[in-house]
Amino acid sequence: MSGAKILVVDDELIVRESLGGWLERDGHMVDKAASGEESLEKFEKTRYDIILLDIKMEGMSGLEVLKRVKEIDPDVSVVMITAYGSIPSAIEAMKSGAYEYLLKPFDPDELMVLIEKIRKHQAERRETQFLREQYKERTRFENMIGQSIALQGVFDLIESVAPTDSTVLINGETGTGKGLAARAIHTKSRRGQGPFVVVNCGAFPEHLLESELFGYQKGAFTDAKITKKGRLELAHGGTLFLDEVGEISTRMQIDLLRVLEDHIFYRVGGTQPIEADFRVIAATNKDLERAIKEGTFREDLYYRLNVISFTMPPLREHKEDIPLLAEYFLHRFAQETNKPVNQVGREALDEMMLYDWPGNVRELGNAVERAVVVGKGPRILPQDLPIFRPEYVSSAPRRTLREVEIGHLESVLKETRWSVSKSAEILGIDRSTLYDKIKRYDLRKPS
Amino acid sequence: MSSEEHILVISPIGRLDVDRGFVEHLGKEIRAVFGYQTDIRPLLDEKDLWADPVRKQYHSTPILDTLAMISPPEAIKVLAITKVDLFIPILTHVYGEAQLGGKACILSTYRFSEGLAPAAEILRDRIFKEAIHELGHTFNLRHCRDASCVMHYCRGVGEVDRKSNQFCRYCAVLLQDEMKRLAKEPVSSKQ
Repeated sequence: MSGAKILVVDDELIVRESLGGWLERDGHMVDKAASGEESLEKFEKTRYDIILLDIKMEGMSGLEVLKRVKEIDPDVSVVMITAYGSIPSAIEAMKSGAYEYLLKPFDPDELMVLIEKIRKHQAERRETQFLREQYKERTRFENMIGQSIALQGVFDLIESVAPTDSTVLINGETGTGKGLAARAIHTKSRRGQGPFVVVNCGAFPEHLLESELFGYQKGAFTDAKITKKGRLELAHGGTLFLDEVGEISTRMQIDLLRVLEDHIFYRVGGTQPIEADFRVIAATNKDLERAIKEGTFREDLYYRLNVISFTMPPLREHKEDIPLLAEYFLHRFAQETNKPVNQVGREALDEMMLYDWPGNVRELGNAVERAVVVGKGPRILPQDLPIFRPEYVSSAPRRTLREVEIGHLESVLKETRWSVSKSAEILGIDRSTLYDKIKRYDLRKPS
Repeated sequence: MSSEEHILVISPIGRLDVDRGFVEHLGKEIRAVFGYQTDIRPLLDEKDLWADPVRKQYHSTPILDTLAMISPPEAIKVLAITKVDLFIPILTHVYGEAQLGGKACILSTYRFSEGLAPAAEILRDRIFKEAIHELGHTFNLRHCRDASCVMHYCRGVGEVDRKSNQFCRYCAVLLQDEMKRLAKEPVSSKQ
């Protein structure tokens, strides 16, 4: 650690000179002021690490100087120098934010130890501040949260992918945050100031998706009363995010492939070619290579999309992020619902850590939201969580993951009286995934 | 005046706790460290010093001013050694004081005999180390964090005993730089 920048304030020349000299020999940079007024003038121009301030001076007193410098810079460490008779003033100074006081004359070793202590304290404070900022930066990457190695790897990848203009394919189970990753890439890219246009390909029937993507010309079909720009056009200068790209029909895949090749398209019913400049980021929870083999996804479109690809890890593979995520959701929903919940109870957290979260982060968010709403006290308890089933704990060692999942699906479906929409929302998965699971596990509504 | 003609004056003040033979030996050791001829010249006596009647100690800063003023022109540095207790007004005591990058420095042996009376050899070793330390300040060296370096500030004689009588590599370089700078300076500007 290099020397400190110290301001010695004393109206006695001999004290300023001797103390200043001693401190300089100790390797510090010393400035001197003969009055409170002069010290404030110097302090306005220069930042000091430490001020050694005589409490009793002609004109402005040490106490007044202390209050003024603390207003200018609350972080500066001020050591009051006092005579035996001025101890009450020194105590008052401590209450006003002085770091310490020294009773003169003081032992040189005492002064040295105090300066070392202040320097160490300042270094630790700066380090804490730095780490806090770095931690905040690294655990909150855009709107993504996580400190696990798995997610930190994703953050690093996004950082390196963002500046390129390449097409990106994000794989990952539902609820893992593919949309957030796409938005983070957009925000960090040179297109960050441009539009980020989302198209949920699984949400539209084929004919609607076509007009959503390409827009339509007035009169193109019965309801086309006006000309409407499609999302490709709206994405001009920005990023087009094709969510659930694996759900696109074979016919639409051909149209999309053409657009990706030259960025030129026609509105539905239009005859004028339209050119738009956008970056494409696509996401899917489907195994597209398997879909190619099954003939439901075009291989050429896959390679067009899969220029750079990565997979968002499922939450069960980065469970160490659960406490951080749960805390984030807790504060967010407590604020939104204005409920005085401020802690995830330890038992509830244990439950969360035991559970595998098939709906991933989205499901965790929904679970915490529900717990905030239904909970009664300031802490989230296990019974507030939709995942909490006492029998899971007692029977867990003898049940397979498949059995647990079936049990949970049945329980949620029963709770919602087989409302697929509500159940999908609670589970944090989309309806089509829930339908798949109902079909796969042959779940039947009780008659 | 060439650097060869410069001398480093060792100036005992009054009677010391060590014999004159040791002071001569100290002169040789200091010459080996700094490379200047040394000369023993008592420039002040204890009766010339002003003692604070309340503190019963001697203020070291005016002593340095006087030494710098009365030292011979060929003296590049002056080291005074005294057995009286020294202070600067804000501190309870000092083991020594030096004009940083200046001409004079002073060393007190008063607190070197704290605790059990040390063997003569230990006392001499302490004086030697702290003499180099104070002279180091006159060559513009500050305190060093390396606990084994002679420029390390020692809180008590125990630490003096533990540190070496050598400059660390870093302080040695700074000392060489300062000595080269002094050699280039016109004699009149040297303190």
